[in-house]
Amino acid sequence: MIAHAAKAHRERPWLLLLPVVAFLGVFFLVPLGQVVASSVTEPELTLAHYREFFSDGFYLLVLGRTFATALLVTLACLVLGYPLAYAAVRREGTIALVMLTLITLSLWTNFLVRTYAWMVILGNRGPVSAAFRALGVVPPPEILFTRVASTLGMVHILLPFMVMALYAVMRRIDPAYLRAAQGLGAPPRAAFRHVFLPLSAPGIVNGCTIVFILCLGFYVTPVLLGSPREQMLAGLIGRQIEELLDFGQASAMAVVLLAATLGLFWIYNRFVGIDKLWG
Amino acid sequence: MSTGNEAQSSRRKALKQIGAAVAGAVAAPYVITSRAASAEPLYVNTWGGVWEEAAAANLFAPFTKETGIEIKTVSPVSFAKLAAQARTGVYEFDVTTLGGGDIVRANDAGLIEKADDSVIDRSKLAPDMVFQNGVASHAFSTIIAWRKDRYPNGGPQSWADFWDLKRFPGSRCLQSYAARVLPLALLADGVPKDKLYPIDVNRAFSALERIKPAIRVWWTQGQQSQQLLRDGEVDAIGIWHSRTIELIKQNAAVDFTWNQGEIDRAYWVVSKGSPRAKQAWRFIQSAVSPERLARFCLQANYGPLNPKSLQYVPQSEMRFMPTAPANYKVQFEQDVVKAEPQLAEFTKRFEQWIAR
Repeated sequence: MIAHAAKAHRERPWLLLLPVVAFLGVFFLVPLGQVVASSVTEPELTLAHYREFFSDGFYLLVLGRTFATALLVTLACLVLGYPLAYAAVRREGTIALVMLTLITLSLWTNFLVRTYAWMVILGNRGPVSAAFRALGVVPPPEILFTRVASTLGMVHILLPFMVMALYAVMRRIDPAYLRAAQGLGAPPRAAFRHVFLPLSAPGIVNGCTIVFILCLGFYVTPVLLGSPREQMLAGLIGRQIEELLDFGQASAMAVVLLAATLGLFWIYNRFVGIDKLWG
Repeated sequence: MSTGNEAQSSRRKALKQIGAAVAGAVAAPYVITSRAASAEPLYVNTWGGVWEEAAAANLFAPFTKETGIEIKTVSPVSFAKLAAQARTGVYEFDVTTLGGGDIVRANDAGLIEKADDSVIDRSKLAPDMVFQNGVASHAFSTIIAWRKDRYPNGGPQSWADFWDLKRFPGSRCLQSYAARVLPLALLADGVPKDKLYPIDVNRAFSALERIKPAIRVWWTQGQQSQQLLRDGEVDAIGIWHSRTIELIKQNAAVDFTWNQGEIDRAYWVVSKGSPRAKQAWRFIQSAVSPERLARFCLQANYGPLNPKSLQYVPQSEMRFMPTAPANYKVQFEQDVVKAEPQLAEFTKRFEQWIAR
């Protein structure tokens, strides 16, 4: 990107980049360096925190659980988001606008508020319980404080990101391709499978990457909606600091989570190209 | 939903503060003279909600009127922030409150200022109020509360009852906070109140193992614990008395017992290295004066730790005060000094135990 900018503006283009580079340096790189540093220097120069992380089965268990949850949430978002984005793109006009507005609206609502709203909806006295009772299921199943509830909460929060990523790519698919396929005798399903789906693949990859990576950092939602067994690594990092004041161990955990995330980015970049993430 | 509103309003407050800070920074070069004339404000870390309303009306306003020092509030209360302030020398707040377990930790780690005897007048305080470089302010208690519709003949009257899933079948909830939960497990297991410390960690965990299947959720925030009980998500809960009394005053189908309540003390402390430490101690002295403290406690449902405050508490409110003599004697206090050396070890074990 820097090289590209330099070609476009030959007169001191770096001057334009200076503010953003300074911003990133001061607010991202320096604190990140501090986290990495404190993971090996608290309380003294040591690799003990990393040794503990990888030798204590507990941390690995939570790390594995974090990735498994992120995968589940990503798949759920894709299954729900793809038809939604597809419908929004294909039915241009009012319906698409309404759907996208609804999606965006939920993005503007504070996620803590949304999490508490789920507690009410899924709770003992909520509408879901009442529906079960009306259907004669007594006592109704307990949904709140289970994996179902925490997954639902996270899917709800992350779905807009998936839909926006899909929509951005799908909108650029020329409907003429589909008409051409059908004109050549493909039934609508075959036209979708052989033309639309492959063309929308970059959207799927983008959406999944964004949702997966955002989900890795979640913690309030699983703590409030799930059982203690749904605790994710980010939550553990928070408690490590709040309750144990163990900045070293917390930093080491954060670095491992970051490394795992960067690993994913690396794979993504290898096979898709990082510049595609921005559409 | 009250939670949402609170979250919203605190966010709005935060935005306002950011706005004020930005405005302040922009205007700074032009207002130096006027700032020198009036006193610098004091930044107090608050718990928000009812706590902040009560503190603003009964502690902050009279102090500002008396001294001309304006008080600005910062939320939420965060121990990690206190630690970060001492490390970085950047102060978001000068004064905060700490519970018993935290004050020993903070004092040992050098996160708080030494009690300043040039400002604090100990003759006006009870002898045990200055503790670990903090000043005791108010007490809150972790008590047993239950749904009246679930236990119409009265709920669990002791922690042994709370653990007794045959006599009191139903779901349970406790705070996800080892230092508070372990003593309760020992009481349930038959350890007498005066033999709880040092904590027999293995015994406590084996007692906890028995109640674990009935615990639907471990609460982490006061607001959350209140919602769980109000909505009947859990049948019996170990919860702060103040949250329970709020529910009872709202006519929720909830009752509680003071018996074996676990008292925590909240202490005012000054963040280590705060440039406004003198004013901070001045504020603290005024905040624990008998009448102001009594009014604060009445509004926020706490028990004053200045014994002289009780004379300002109407008889009708005494039953809601954890420090009223009749209630105090059936409860117990944590021994934070004896628990401190064990704290890191059992907290870690607890964290891992609940997540497995």
